Amino acid sequence: MNDGVEAVLYDGVSSRPLEARVSVRAPNALVVEHGGERFTWPLEHAGMQWERTRDTLRITFGEFPRRVLIVRDPLFIRSFVLRMRYTGRQGVYDRMLGLARSGPVLFFLGVAVLLVASYVWLLPWAAEGVAMLMPRTVDRQLGEAAWGTMVHSLDEDTARSRTLQRFGEALQLSPDHPLTFHVVDDEQVNAFALPGGHIVVYTGILERMDRPEELAALLAHEGTHVQERHSTRMLMRQLASYVFLSLIIGDASAIAAVVAKHADNVRNLSYSRGLETDADRHGMERMHARGVDPQGMVDLLQLLQEEAVDMPAAMEFLSSHPLTAERVAEAERLAAELGIPAVTRPPLDGLFQALRAEEEEPVSEEVMAE
Amino acid sequence: MELLTPQRRLAFKGQGGDLFAVLIVNWLLTMVTLGLYYPWAKVRRLKYYYEHTELDGHPFHFHGTGREMFIGFIKAVGLLALLYGAFFGLAMLQEAWASVLGFLVLFGGLLLLLPLIIHGTYRYRMSRSSWRGIHFGYRGDRNELYRICLRDGLLTLVTLGIYGSWFTINLRNYVMSHVRWGSSQFAYKGDGLDFFLMNLKGYFLTLFTLGIYGFWWQKDMFHYYVDHLSWNFTDGKRLQFKGTATGGGFFGLMITNVLLVIFTLGIGYAWAEVRTMRYILANITLVGDADLNNVAQTEQEHKGALAEELGDLMDIGIFL
Repeated sequence: MNDGVEAVLYDGVSSRPLEARVSVRAPNALVVEHGGERFTWPLEHAGMQWERTRDTLRITFGEFPRRVLIVRDPLFIRSFVLRMRYTGRQGVYDRMLGLARSGPVLFFLGVAVLLVASYVWLLPWAAEGVAMLMPRTVDRQLGEAAWGTMVHSLDEDTARSRTLQRFGEALQLSPDHPLTFHVVDDEQVNAFALPGGHIVVYTGILERMDRPEELAALLAHEGTHVQERHSTRMLMRQLASYVFLSLIIGDASAIAAVVAKHADNVRNLSYSRGLETDADRHGMERMHARGVDPQGMVDLLQLLQEEAVDMPAAMEFLSSHPLTAERVAEAERLAAELGIPAVTRPPLDGLFQALRAEEEEPVSEEVMAE
Repeated sequence: MELLTPQRRLAFKGQGGDLFAVLIVNWLLTMVTLGLYYPWAKVRRLKYYYEHTELDGHPFHFHGTGREMFIGFIKAVGLLALLYGAFFGLAMLQEAWASVLGFLVLFGGLLLLLPLIIHGTYRYRMSRSSWRGIHFGYRGDRNELYRICLRDGLLTLVTLGIYGSWFTINLRNYVMSHVRWGSSQFAYKGDGLDFFLMNLKGYFLTLFTLGIYGFWWQKDMFHYYVDHLSWNFTDGKRLQFKGTATGGGFFGLMITNVLLVIFTLGIGYAWAEVRTMRYILANITLVGDADLNNVAQTEQEHKGALAEELGDLMDIGIFL
């Protein structure tokens, strides 16, 4: 009994710990000696299992009740584990755990970087992909549901809505979604689009416009939101974000949850800014294609910027459609690049005048014929 | 010279960095598999705790597998989905009687499941635990457990919760006294009135001292759970469990743990967990001259993990 290392053996019959010596013998067998007896446990045997912690190795063998061997000799543990690894009995988990154990903080940072990267790039890409795969009827259903909840609280001017409808249709803004335009009596300098096609323009913003090009720019901007399915994409991104974050955080601390929530808000805000710039750009391209001077967008943005300075009522518009000097500059740059449209503009002046009129007056036949 | 009262000690040998590695790999895999890895993660975590818990220098061992837990997990999710499905389905009818029936189905169902969960959790967990190669076991009777739960549950309801203390202790007395390790047997002898008075005192003093007494209440609770537990052997000898924790000790432990977790944005959780385990196990002593070497293997192999998962999903922390 002079070869092998010390180990404690439990025979599975009694609780008495037995002194034993253990060694690994070729070919692939563990030899356990105890009280003059000698057992051979083949390493490749199905009843052979082992687990290790930082400084103990537990080897179990046989059927229930199993015999258990506890070894604490570091050299033996190392060579045994290496041997088992060599015979291919180490799983993905052990490899990963080994990596994590060798440098927990470094491993954590690596995982964190991977997660952040997938959150910033992979997730939005996948979410948008899914959004674009969804049929357009989904947009319509979402929009109708939203419209149904708000229609009673809006004071719609149906006569002017009809006129705006003609104005919008003349521009042919959205080939895939039939757009429905609404004029609502409200002081706010605001307008918005619902997914699927409802576009609402407040009289507050209409009254501040000087040229039909500005209104065309507004409708082109909102029409782009509808045509490019911005709401649905945003919704899918937020949903994906939410699921991702709740998966990561799970039952972690409330602090982490709060931090993550704010990170998400900031990201959504910057995404929605990106969408606004997108809507400006695509809107201007559409205007240009229909023969409307894209300079109208610049005028509209400048008008809104002045409003924002003058009156607090414009704050709401500001918060959802941030009007930065950058956005105006970008529109100016694009207007110069697009130049004067080659095609002639559809007749819009008459409709625009009718919309601007303070009192409701029916659109005359002359205007229609213009 | 012979020691008058031999003592045996429990100890936790885990380290924060190692537990952190286990937890982070668990977290990563659970996330990547959209939560499906959860049962396996739970096994990994339990194994870490067992393997690093030593009594008298010998480590414990958890034999459960992710597969067993996964099957239990699926059944548990299915059962709960059925109950909640019935509840929401009835609520959808938007009729008064349907809502009432829904509540009855949900809460009645959960209440009827409770003894089943406790029974199954103990059976599974004990059969999957071993020390020195000898398996633990739970030999309680399910019908007896139902009887206790129904009787005490009703009394608790009638007394507006006051009887809850007696309920807790009766349940504990029954369950812990049917836990065995091979041929030896555990016994828990608590008294509902003592437990009630202790909690009453703890509650009001904590209120009057603006929460500071809470740590001493915690200590009392810890002692109540530990000091009434004993371990009896076939030769008539026994080991008595004794808690040595102090209110000041709990105070220091919890304050530092909270700071540790907050200032590391949660990363320090593993280290805090290790500190808690160390403190708790270091403060449980077993006093007596019983011979731990003469215990024979008696329990059979047991299968099934449904209750373990149900207990986990419903957050019933019945373990020390």
